[in-house]
Amino acid sequence: MMSFIKKLWGTFWRPAVHISLGILTLGGFVAGVIFWGGFNTALEITNTEKFCIGCHEMKDNVYKELQTTVHWSNNAGVRATCPDCHVPHNWTDKIARKMQASKEVFGAIFGTIDTREKFLAKRGELAQHEWKRFASNGSLECKNCHQYESMKWEEMSPLAQSQMKQAAEKDQSCMDCHKGIAHSLPDNMDTSGGMVSQLVSQSQNTSYTEGSNYFSVRYLPMYEDEALTQSGGELNPASEVKVVAVKGNAIQIEINGWRKTKGFGRVISEDFGMNIPTAALSKDAAQNNTLVQKFEEKEDDLTGLPWQRVTVKLWMPKESLVDNVDMIWSETKSAYTTNCSVCHTQPAENHFDANTWPGMFNGMLAFVNLDRDSEALVLKYLQKHSSDFSYSGH
Amino acid sequence: MSSVDNVADKDKSKYEWRSFIFITVFLFPILSVVLVGGYGFIVWALQIFFLGPPGHG
Repeated sequence: MMSFIKKLWGTFWRPAVHISLGILTLGGFVAGVIFWGGFNTALEITNTEKFCIGCHEMKDNVYKELQTTVHWSNNAGVRATCPDCHVPHNWTDKIARKMQASKEVFGAIFGTIDTREKFLAKRGELAQHEWKRFASNGSLECKNCHQYESMKWEEMSPLAQSQMKQAAEKDQSCMDCHKGIAHSLPDNMDTSGGMVSQLVSQSQNTSYTEGSNYFSVRYLPMYEDEALTQSGGELNPASEVKVVAVKGNAIQIEINGWRKTKGFGRVISEDFGMNIPTAALSKDAAQNNTLVQKFEEKEDDLTGLPWQRVTVKLWMPKESLVDNVDMIWSETKSAYTTNCSVCHTQPAENHFDANTWPGMFNGMLAFVNLDRDSEALVLKYLQKHSSDFSYSGH
Repeated sequence: MSSVDNVADKDKSKYEWRSFIFITVFLFPILSVVLVGGYGFIVWALQIFFLGPPGHG
């Protein structure tokens, strides 16, 4: 065996004596063509929809979702298949993606997402991979078919026209706005980039001392009693509370604010005449005079509504409170600038006053995906930095 | 690289054909897959650690 190999090796390095030049080059040429054709055919087979849905994880989940969308069936009868969007067309990027697919092969063998529940748990992460890829290349795969230069503005609805013309001007990445166009969006999709979970983990370091002030990072339940059994209402995010007692896992907090005296008076606002919600009390708690201390009344000239200053004392569990409100504002500020500058430059925070912001904000919510806590955090950030609180500019 | 000619004259033809078949059918195809695949892995690793996802191209 060894001598065979040695002889073969020796033959490699010598010029051929018995085989003609023509045969050698023709043979090499034909073999090269066959190989390259075969290589590319094999590569392209892995680029077909049939191949992709060969795995049940794909067929039962994302493929089914695609079938409910316009990319599956539409008036023009033009359909997209898996590779059209998910495999880069550029050769180098395609080869890199094919090697990256070894990760998917691993997943298929070891069942990373082989049940519906596992898939749903990972959906957000997988979606983020694709969104990052699209953001990086400006949604190049979309633009292989959908080109701004070929769009007929007159055939769009007025709203679509105005949005799309602006996008065309900046050659905007399609996925900035059109997430969820082919597959279902993740539940609780947090375009604030996990702001709430960030703040909650920061709040784990808070140490609670009596007499100090803290700020909530999300909606938190409050209770009438120390044992935390009787519901007393809900504390809004980014609300300031004073801790008056610390008893084990529960803290007694004091909320200072104002409320409108018409109705049950359940909503406590931060200050006179300002619709900045600090907390919403339960009906019982709002009417309980041991929990709610009442002070002076004042009428708001702008609305004619009477307001009253109050102090509310309730209990809550020791969690999700931070001692420095700037920790919250820095997260909300970046969430605001990221989410609200996709289509237009975002207005300065002090461009509106505190009572105008809710209307403005609610009108824009359809264009983003924020969970309830993030929405409240960003809105309060805007209100607390509105013209009512700002000395500069507007 | 054996400068010593280790194949007997009468066997040279046999060895030449065998070398030719081995190189064109096995060695070069497998080497091509390895090289292209290796190229892909390197680009992928660069994308993860340095370059980020591919840009406009």
